[in-house]
Amino acid sequence: MAMRGNLRTFKNAAWLGWQMESNWTDPFLFATYSIVKPLAGTLILVFMYLVITNGETDTLFFSYMFIGNALYMYVADVLFGVTWVIHDDREHYMTLKQVYIAPISFYYYIFGRAAIKIAITSVGVLFTILFGIFVLGVEVSLVSISWPLLIVSLVLGLAALCIMGLALGGITFLTAKHGQGINEGVAGIFYVLSGVIFPITILPTWAQSISKLLPVTYWMEAMRRGLEPGVISGLGSTTGLDGMGNWFLMLVLILSTIAFLFISVGIFRLADKAARRKGKIDWTTAY
Amino acid sequence: MTSAVEISSLTRVFNPKKKKEGKSVTALDNVDLRIDQGELFGLLGPNGAGKTTLLKILSTLLLPTSGSASVAGFDVARDFLEVRKRINMVSGGEISGYGLLTVRENLWMFCQFYGIKSSLAYQRIDEMLELFGMASKKNEKVRTLSTGERQKMNVIRGFVTDPDILLLDEPTLGLDVNASRVIRDYIVDWVKNGKGKTVLLTTHYMAEADQLCDRIAIINQGKILACDTPENLKRLVKASRTLKLEVTMLRNKDQFGLVPGVEKFTYVDDYDKGVTVLKFVLSDESAVNDIVSELLKEHAKIISLQKTEPTLEDVFIKMVGKGFE
Amino acid sequence: MSDSWIIRNLRAIRGRAYPRIVGSSREPSWVFFDITLPLLTVAAYVYMYKFMDAPKEFVGFVILGGAMTAFWLNILWSMASQLYWEKETGNLSLFLMAPVSRMSILAGMAVGGLFFTTLRAGSTLAIGILVFGVSLSLSNPLMLIAIFVTTMVALYGMGMMLASLYLLFGREAYNMSNLLTEPVYLVSGFYFPVRSLGFWTAAGASVIPITLGLDALRQLFYPSTGAQYAFLSIHLELGALCVLCAVFILLSKVSLDYMEKLGKTSGRLTLRWQ
Repeated sequence: MAMRGNLRTFKNAAWLGWQMESNWTDPFLFATYSIVKPLAGTLILVFMYLVITNGETDTLFFSYMFIGNALYMYVADVLFGVTWVIHDDREHYMTLKQVYIAPISFYYYIFGRAAIKIAITSVGVLFTILFGIFVLGVEVSLVSISWPLLIVSLVLGLAALCIMGLALGGITFLTAKHGQGINEGVAGIFYVLSGVIFPITILPTWAQSISKLLPVTYWMEAMRRGLEPGVISGLGSTTGLDGMGNWFLMLVLILSTIAFLFISVGIFRLADKAARRKGKIDWTTAY
Repeated sequence: MTSAVEISSLTRVFNPKKKKEGKSVTALDNVDLRIDQGELFGLLGPNGAGKTTLLKILSTLLLPTSGSASVAGFDVARDFLEVRKRINMVSGGEISGYGLLTVRENLWMFCQFYGIKSSLAYQRIDEMLELFGMASKKNEKVRTLSTGERQKMNVIRGFVTDPDILLLDEPTLGLDVNASRVIRDYIVDWVKNGKGKTVLLTTHYMAEADQLCDRIAIINQGKILACDTPENLKRLVKASRTLKLEVTMLRNKDQFGLVPGVEKFTYVDDYDKGVTVLKFVLSDESAVNDIVSELLKEHAKIISLQKTEPTLEDVFIKMVGKGFE
Repeated sequence: MSDSWIIRNLRAIRGRAYPRIVGSSREPSWVFFDITLPLLTVAAYVYMYKFMDAPKEFVGFVILGGAMTAFWLNILWSMASQLYWEKETGNLSLFLMAPVSRMSILAGMAVGGLFFTTLRAGSTLAIGILVFGVSLSLSNPLMLIAIFVTTMVALYGMGMMLASLYLLFGREAYNMSNLLTEPVYLVSGFYFPVRSLGFWTAAGASVIPITLGLDALRQLFYPSTGAQYAFLSIHLELGALCVLCAVFILLSKVSLDYMEKLGKTSGRLTLRWQ
């Protein structure tokens, strides 16, 4: 009974998320927006790379960097998307308190809104990867993709990101409008330390230790092994995780996701209590 | 004397951006209105009647589709800068301002947009906060205010720039009795003592309009249906006036039915209480004097008196065909 | 209200700048997040260049570009789309009713925003220089100031023009600002010399003042090697920026007046939740 209610909340939240994301313009413009934005972000890196290599893209590192950056969109968008739900509902539409006091699971509401973000981001990710393969020569071949590894790691990774987003969402209850910098910052930590656009071996030793504590690091590695196994094996020890087998990688991903589940729910509950104590559920901070 | 507001054949049509969004809406339809300087003028109408649209045009936020409107002698479409120097507007349920600033800071900020020197601005702000019982809140952040306090702050914002013409769009909406009374009393005093200060007030509260306004216009579906003083408007409605009197026990009662202006008369003797209850339906209010004279002749004492007369609601229902609900 | 038009508008600028400055100081949580954490994105690019054994000056380019993103983001979110937010909170109608120039309101927003944005950008630059051991030349401080000032005036003029376009936007405002973030980073060469996009692309992108500003700053900070990556000479870029200052300020006035009239005619000027 409760599960049915939760699923209904999830479904309604997803519907609301879709309306918020898409009905500000016509479908064509929305589709263009969903593709142009991620592609432009990727092309920044491409041009940064081309300036140094004088136009050469036929390297393993280029494929490594390109795929990592494409997949990173999930990290940025999901984390941002979850916290933006709370910020937007509270500051802009002032509907947070109505949702909050409704007899629904707030977790399912947030995850429902996040689900749409994931769906839209997937379009951008897919398009970017295809663009990389067909236009820039990124080394991904349908024949060599390890589908089981790719699908399992994708699902686990997205779950982990949603869970981490929950913690950030809780913190959003307590921060002012410009606290959106928290998303930028946390996503930035992953960008630097999780082997997104360069192998973690280039980082100082102390930073590498931190990298190995982050689930996104293993997620990136697992996704690359699934999508571009040739590139990963070609780069060898430079990735820093070459010593780990696929199963061990999955196990680490699962355990860290579970650990973050407890941590994130804990943080969310503490932040929620603090927000209620300080009357911040429905405060506005615009200036 | 220049009118405060002069509206001539004013029409405003809203066209949807896309066809699928619906048909055009005529929010104002050939409106003619004149508001004199020093008047407290009321605009009554149901939701969607066009009151806010009219106020937006007068406050230079919206252009008319056709017709003209002038405020303090300046055309709202052409001479909007001159109009803005002379007006201010307050709406009910406003959430404007910045939550992080204090009440005093918010009010000061808006004063700056009207070019008021800081020293003068603070002086006026402090005076008005005192008048509205908000002096203790002046250094509180706006986001901590209750609804009533926030609306008082909004109202102060409207007055503190000392406009010639103040547009009030349901200023007491959602406020409790005390807060509403404070605001109403201030509005009346401001117009009375203001030497040519004018207020255009839209409201849903009949009693408020009746109590405050020198003249009232009733608007529905973009058209002005009637415009006159509250008394004259009530005279348009042939509603009965009833009078109920509780007096010391009367021996003779029949003569009361013969008083000129009494349409109907009934009475009940309540022996337990030792009173006679007299009920009259009057066609002429002046009959009350004669009734009292008859009571004096009978040496009766009046214990209680209840009188009903046509209200603005009766006028409104007659004009619009429905109440506000 | 017998004060002159200038005094009235100067007061309006002061009034609108006030909540920006005070608001930032009253909610200090931005200090950590907005200054130190964005540096991480810059760090990622720096490490990528280090992995590729890129020339040292590219690390400086990345840090400089990362610092300057603060200004572009301020333009998009605190200038251009700000009027949309003001509309949603009910402040816009109050601003538009006031007997002051709209440019004054926007100038107040710009002044208020510029202060803390400069602080953020400066901090990012300083921390980046310290952490990554970058050396920047300060051999021509006057030209540096001239380039910076003209870039900011032109950029905020552009921000005012964008604000007028956004005046009529509904939720497109937020999405438009989102859409203009990365593409502008790309075409303006925030993280790499813009000339690598080709002459005509770089020329087109020069309409955005920060393109030329960044290019000139790169040449000034790296006088010996900067020229080989330069799009145009410093003096030419300064001249172009001066022209952009005048053009954007004029365009913003014209655009604001036109868009306001359009908004008043269509009735969308104060329409919320579009």
